[in-house]
Amino acid sequence: MKLGDGAFALLLTLPGFALLCAVVVYPLVSALVSAFFEESLLYPGRDFVGLDNITAVLSGDFLRLLGQTMTFTVGTTLLPFIIGFGLALALNTKIKGAKALRGLMLIPWLVPGVVVSFLWMWIFNANYGVLNALLEGLGAIGAPQAWLAHPDTAMVAVIVAKTWQSFPWMMVMLLAGLQTVPPELYEAAEVDGAGVVRRFASITVPHLRGIIGLVILLEFIWNFQHFDIIYVLTGGGPAGSTHTFATAVYDTAFRGFDLGMAGALGLLWMLLLGILVVLYIHFSEKGEK
Amino acid sequence: MAAWLAVIVFGGFAMLPVYWLFATSLTPRAEVFSYPPKLFPSSPTLDAYRALIDNPALFAYLRNSIIVSVITAVLSVIVSAFMGYSFSKFRYRGRRSLMYLVLSSQMFPQALLLVTLYSVFSAYNLLNTYTALVLSFTTFTLPLCVWMLKGFFDTIPNDLIEAAKVDGATRLRTFFVVVLPLAAPGLVAAGLFAFVRGWNDFIFALTLAGPDKQTLPPGLVNTYIGEASTAWPELMAASLVVSLPVVIGFIALQRFLVGGLTAGAVKG
Amino acid sequence: MSIHSKGFGPLSRRGLLQFMAVGTGAAGLAACSSQGTANTNPSSAPSAGGQTIGSSEAKDFSFASWSISEEAAKPVITGQLEKFGADKGIQISPVSYPFNEYLNQLTLQVRGGQFSGAMQLDIAWLATMSALGKLRDLSSYAEGRGYTEAGLSVGQVDGVQNGLPWTMGAIGLVANAELLQKVGADSVPSSIEDFEALLRELKGLGNGTIPYAASTKVAQLKDVQVWMQTFGCSLVENGEVTIGDEASIEAVTWYKKLYDEGLIGADVDRFDARSLFSQGKAAIYDDAPVGRAGVVADSPDPELASKLLPASRPVLNSGDAPRALAWGHVVAVVEGEAADTASEFAQWLTSDEETVVAYFEALGLPPTTEEGLAADAVKSDTFIADFSERITATAQPSPFWVYPQYGQIDTAISEQVQAVLVGQSSPADAMAAAREAATALIS
Repeated sequence: MKLGDGAFALLLTLPGFALLCAVVVYPLVSALVSAFFEESLLYPGRDFVGLDNITAVLSGDFLRLLGQTMTFTVGTTLLPFIIGFGLALALNTKIKGAKALRGLMLIPWLVPGVVVSFLWMWIFNANYGVLNALLEGLGAIGAPQAWLAHPDTAMVAVIVAKTWQSFPWMMVMLLAGLQTVPPELYEAAEVDGAGVVRRFASITVPHLRGIIGLVILLEFIWNFQHFDIIYVLTGGGPAGSTHTFATAVYDTAFRGFDLGMAGALGLLWMLLLGILVVLYIHFSEKGEK
Repeated sequence: MAAWLAVIVFGGFAMLPVYWLFATSLTPRAEVFSYPPKLFPSSPTLDAYRALIDNPALFAYLRNSIIVSVITAVLSVIVSAFMGYSFSKFRYRGRRSLMYLVLSSQMFPQALLLVTLYSVFSAYNLLNTYTALVLSFTTFTLPLCVWMLKGFFDTIPNDLIEAAKVDGATRLRTFFVVVLPLAAPGLVAAGLFAFVRGWNDFIFALTLAGPDKQTLPPGLVNTYIGEASTAWPELMAASLVVSLPVVIGFIALQRFLVGGLTAGAVKG
Repeated sequence: MSIHSKGFGPLSRRGLLQFMAVGTGAAGLAACSSQGTANTNPSSAPSAGGQTIGSSEAKDFSFASWSISEEAAKPVITGQLEKFGADKGIQISPVSYPFNEYLNQLTLQVRGGQFSGAMQLDIAWLATMSALGKLRDLSSYAEGRGYTEAGLSVGQVDGVQNGLPWTMGAIGLVANAELLQKVGADSVPSSIEDFEALLRELKGLGNGTIPYAASTKVAQLKDVQVWMQTFGCSLVENGEVTIGDEASIEAVTWYKKLYDEGLIGADVDRFDARSLFSQGKAAIYDDAPVGRAGVVADSPDPELASKLLPASRPVLNSGDAPRALAWGHVVAVVEGEAADTASEFAQWLTSDEETVVAYFEALGLPPTTEEGLAADAVKSDTFIADFSERITATAQPSPFWVYPQYGQIDTAISEQVQAVLVGQSSPADAMAAAREAATALIS
């Protein structure tokens, strides 16, 4: 009995897909089905309600959630990218202690995630936080600010905390990429009289295109569904201004015990996402041909 | 110099909170809430660290965290190596669609899964075991690891694989003997990322692992964030102590991390 | 609950493969049958009858408690578990979750049949947990143990004794007598105008003093509901939400005024309030007796304990009863094999005189039996005596507690109040929205 290459290849993907089906697809489908029922975590049984939950979510704050989720996701993708890239570039030069610094910079990434939230909660605290003390000392603010209590600054605070946690990963990835750029390229460009900016734009960036695409894509996907840091730092507040889909779904299911509404939120999200993915696959399959 | 400027500005952002974590852990309890806070604790104390020694539960959490994260890393690397190899070295219909399907399985609120996952694991008597956590985290890390390893396998020349075939090696043998050793640094890199996922998770660890198998994130919250008060110095001290072994391990493995990504993800 | 001694449970490799194969196949079927997977644990089957005290053999059970992982409470509760266990020759396994996650984690466990034994519950959560239909009626265990009337009533849901009261108190105003004296006051005034005037004087102390560290974060903004009641809003009347009436709008407008003038602090929850108060940065705050130990321990002022002044909340018209929210913990028992033993334990833990007095001595949490309250240790604690007389005496449960969706109702109202505080909404609009949200949740 000899397997064809195609069959062998599919066989290789089997353990992965089995796990995905058992741990993700089955629970997900079952949660999404709840969208059409009035279903509570507290009571047995459920009643079919058609599209009621979905219209309720749509007429509620779905758009607001979408906007906030996007703000969070884009912010926590770009900021760590900029910081990680800056540090990677700096640490890729031959400055003293680059190795030791690289090691130290891993700490934020490896402190347990909940601690990141508590640490920043502690730093941003309106009444005894160190940030207020620093800024007051520098004369930047006149009186202590309640960073986590105002809708505008709370989202920024959440993004900053998440950025702090994820920039080391960006840094490590980009640093790895930078080390593959052959030094001769830079030397040749320098001989040709290209300045730092030119060299960066014409050598570094093109060479790293692949890895930049990858880290941004992956970071975006993670942050889109990120839960822990927001949940612990603000719980979605104040006045719901830092809720994302992830925290809203959790609140609906576990504080409100409303599995139907949570499913409806998830279903709408999946629809939105499905459209994006299908479009993406459509265009990239075309590109491959 | 630009390099120094970047290190100072961004490095400051990176390291000041770490410093504050450390400074708080040395602050006596009565001073913790004073404002303005003292940037250097005026009477530093090791009380918070001493309290750790009396807290065996903390080390149980640490042990659980390490067991769960290590097994997650290993399992995730094995499963994603198979999958990534398939996506990288074979051509079949729908391959790209499958790849994006795997990736998009990361893009929805995982909180949705909790209720059903709880029932599923309960039905298989897997609640309160490491298995429940390992299976969940392995699955959650698959997409990233598959994509990373695929990028890595892409850089291995097809000629090597063909040569092994000519020598009469089976496809599995080729994979294990020829391909995997070449990919070793990439496997380490993927494994470290999977490790961090298991290491950081709060809500699944809280829900699926019973009291005996609790990992650090819920364990720390449970120990230090009470109904009536938060023990800041103790929380900070505990966080530092438990992170230390992992940071050291990562620094030791960083060589692989960088090397692994270098070859793998760059062309991804 | 079933905890396997080996980390990896009873599953063979074949079982694991089966698990994944089933997962693969079941994904498609999920649409038709997403309900049926839970509840295969035999211990979840409710044992019929068997209420007679002490008739059956003692069995091992679990005791869920958030307090048991907290520094101060851990030794005393663990010791009591061991003592009861040793007397009966059984093992009591402690189960603990962080306070904020406790209710939903236990809900999942009880719903899935994974938990059997006794559990600590906040009195606000009892209706939610009872809705699952797995709590035992403990009325036979409540009789003849000298529980106070008030204690027994907070343990009841729809007239059924689903919990035995463990500690009872209220959330009320606690003031720092020294700071009050600095502005020449020796007590908290009883009218709202005088109270506000006092806050202004305290503000005048400067030095960043927050006169009243009232809750302004969603987590404990439920405190505002007590002020709404003080202004004359009943919250719920005949099953109708009355938030949105004149009194509630007036209360929120007043709260917003205090917020804008810095008479209450921004970004304050119960934790922050306690820290501020313990630092002498806040003159007045809201708390239950449970907060005292931490406030005193964290304070740089070794004399703070003697300066704590429990005070009645001011009233709108003189002669009104001061408002306070009841606060307390009960112990409930989930039906199951070990329910008899667990019920005996719940009874012993909450009403055995020696046990409750020891608990009080360690944590300062007032007992719920006449005997316990009459014990010397309790009577000689002037803070508790004053607290009981001035605050607990007129405390009432929240009318929302009877609804299982209580937590979400609370959050919905608090978010609207917060929207007012940060200037996103007017008091009238926000309270109308709060009424709508709360009404939808209780119908």
